[in-house]
Amino acid sequence: MKRIVEAYIGEYASGKSENAINRALELKQAGFEVTLVDLDTVEPFYTLRPLKAWLEDRGITVVGWGPKDSFGLGEAGGLVKPAARWVLRREGAVILDIGYGVYGAKTLNLLEGADRDPDLQVLAVINTARPMTATKEDIVEYVSNLGRVDGLVSNSHLGSETTVDFIVEGHRVIMEAAAELGIPVVCVAVEDSLRDEALQADFSGVSVRFINRYMPGAMW
Amino acid sequence: MSAVQPAMPKSWYAPSKPHKFCPGCGHGIVLKALGEAIDELNIQNQTVFGCDIGCSLLSWNFFAVDSTQTHHGRTTPVMVGMKRANPELICVGYMGDGGGYSIGSQHLVNSAIRNEKVTLILVNNTNYAMTGGQLAPTTLPGQKTETTPYGRDVEKQGYPTRGPEMIATITPDGAYVARATVSKFRQMKTFIKRALQNQMEGNGFSFVECLSTCPTNWRTNPQQTWDFLEDQMESYFAVGEIKSPFGKGEK
Amino acid sequence: MEKPITGTMKAFMTGNEIVAWAALAAQADIMFGYPITPQNEIMHYWTRLAPKYKREFLQTEDEISAGFTVCGAVQAGRKAFTATAGPGNVLMQEPFGMAEAMRLPIVAVIQQRGGPSSGTVVYSQQEVTLTTYGGNGEGHRIVYSTSTHQEIFDYVIKAFNTAWKYRFPTFVMGDGYQAKMREPLEIYDPEERGLAIEPARPLVGLPGSIGVDREPAHLCNIYSLEEELYEVVLELDRAYQEIAPQVVEYEEKMCDDAEIIVLSHGVVSRAADDAVKTLREKGINAGYFRHITLRPFPAQQLRDAIKKSGARKILVAESSYGQLMRLVRQEIYGETVEICGLLKPGVGIVDHDIFDKVKELL
Repeated sequence: MKRIVEAYIGEYASGKSENAINRALELKQAGFEVTLVDLDTVEPFYTLRPLKAWLEDRGITVVGWGPKDSFGLGEAGGLVKPAARWVLRREGAVILDIGYGVYGAKTLNLLEGADRDPDLQVLAVINTARPMTATKEDIVEYVSNLGRVDGLVSNSHLGSETTVDFIVEGHRVIMEAAAELGIPVVCVAVEDSLRDEALQADFSGVSVRFINRYMPGAMW
Repeated sequence: MSAVQPAMPKSWYAPSKPHKFCPGCGHGIVLKALGEAIDELNIQNQTVFGCDIGCSLLSWNFFAVDSTQTHHGRTTPVMVGMKRANPELICVGYMGDGGGYSIGSQHLVNSAIRNEKVTLILVNNTNYAMTGGQLAPTTLPGQKTETTPYGRDVEKQGYPTRGPEMIATITPDGAYVARATVSKFRQMKTFIKRALQNQMEGNGFSFVECLSTCPTNWRTNPQQTWDFLEDQMESYFAVGEIKSPFGKGEK
Repeated sequence: MEKPITGTMKAFMTGNEIVAWAALAAQADIMFGYPITPQNEIMHYWTRLAPKYKREFLQTEDEISAGFTVCGAVQAGRKAFTATAGPGNVLMQEPFGMAEAMRLPIVAVIQQRGGPSSGTVVYSQQEVTLTTYGGNGEGHRIVYSTSTHQEIFDYVIKAFNTAWKYRFPTFVMGDGYQAKMREPLEIYDPEERGLAIEPARPLVGLPGSIGVDREPAHLCNIYSLEEELYEVVLELDRAYQEIAPQVVEYEEKMCDDAEIIVLSHGVVSRAADDAVKTLREKGINAGYFRHITLRPFPAQQLRDAIKKSGARKILVAESSYGQLMRLVRQEIYGETVEICGLLKPGVGIVDHDIFDKVKELL
């Protein structure tokens, strides 16, 4: 079985963790051994921490702190679990959820072997409802400052107020930015509740990844 | 017959005179030097004077310049905020040794390190005078105060703070740091003027400690007062320019 | 000043980011801050955005300094603000007191965390007493408590206008949940919506030549005599009482025939709103009353709601051990309605907590 290593990076609240979780669950269903790694080093809110046990019940190996491990340590944003350093040596699929921050993809420097992993794909998650990545120019500027990026995940949404029209319009902007950046859009993420309508929509041939929203249950 | 008015700097505020400092207090001398420096630099209208709590507070309406009161130790951040918000202003903070070296020391240290473009004048009279003569960071070894009734014991209370030396060490180039004494008025005025000029030129942090007298709390007559300043204080606290962007320091 | 937002934009953001965007939209000039969870992203986003729109930031040495630098900046006539939480809010009470005494138009965003002490970094509503009546004064402050992301945007803009119009220190109180939750909202330029931006006016560095055109400004906060201070405080209070009716805000739903009124503020109001709707569906006459301003307190409005409804009970729901309830007791003293509490210090409250409590009380 082919090895899959994907790192999800991007703006604060762009949907990195949501896409990482959905990808991990999808790969698990496809028969992979899946390791999901929490590398949110800036703030411990909306990280995988509260979902750790739930994900482990579904057969996913989660490398990251649980809520009780870290809160005893107070302002525990910047704590990386030591085991995370070695995750690229694991078998199967490795999904990395990288927190936001000014260092972008450089967080990967914390992982042993990240600079020479042949399978690593660094994917930037973009939501055009985020004001700093709202326009083509904004996205190009933003992604250019992230460091290594191999592909974009088109993830425009407005939470519970998302419409397919909004996703389509956001996707159009992201495609333009991707063309200018010279990197592919690997998929467009659409919440599963919009499946029927989305199947009718035109995403310029980019494959749709239907996702469920798990993170709203993951405060702190 | 009208009384003869003594000569006052133009930037002094006449309605608040005669001022309220004790007889023999050095504050008036420091403020005269500051007033003359403001006049000579012609900056009365863009200067903002901020004063701390303690005896320095008596200067709150001393000048005919825009002035503001702060809290004990907090003059430095108020003036820093003002200067950052409007760099056109010439912001002068005025404080005692307690406000600068004790309760406000974190502000003084960090503003100096950041090379904030403000001018701070700190009056060192070796005690907390307004609260009744307690130990200050600058109280000399063996000196009696109301909270060191047997004299400052350096084993228990540590050694006096040498502020300008510390600030000279932590400031980058562009800072101006000096220690003056009210016993050498012309030199003190020169130092204060350079500390203002340094801010006007945007070079960096400007700090002058002024050794001053407090006969009220020292319980000294004029002769004893001057002896304590010149013999005791000036030998412990070296007077002179420690750091200056204006060439070789004056000793 | 270049506008960060033109037109109206639908956005999906966290509460902290919204504060930064709203401060830009409100034409804030400078932020002073010191890191503390859960307010950090206000600084993270302000520092990302500020240089693009020629605004300034200083990370100070501590919260005391952050508060006092804001006090200095507003005296210089610039719109300045800070943000903090928990122990940082405690340290800032000193500068907030100075702002109260000197009527400095400072704006501070408080993202409440658990207490006492360092408590948790997570969430609470335990900074009500501190933010409304902290410091060695009489609470002459304006405190807004928001409950949605749209309100965070709207009220941060409003806070700058309120502060500069009335010259009382103004607070927007959120909490760790609101700071970090993400939801959709509309961001906009206030002037395009006809919301005037209150001009900033300096207190020092005034125009004109001193002694020729004007007298020097001598600002003070310390007085020699009891009587002098007494006059000052009474004048502060007179001015505060005069503007209070224009500032006070509240939200009331279904109180006309309510036998019990659920009273809340901030994020808990969301749960209260849902709970009251469910209670109504089950045939229980519940009402909803929410304090948008905790200072000034909508006391008469609450008394009116009690009177017209004939409610026998009030349920105060809050994530503190009675800080809102104490305010309510003092402000509606003399009312015979029974005041009950659903008090969960530092813990979130959801709709069924309130639903169950109301059922238990009736």
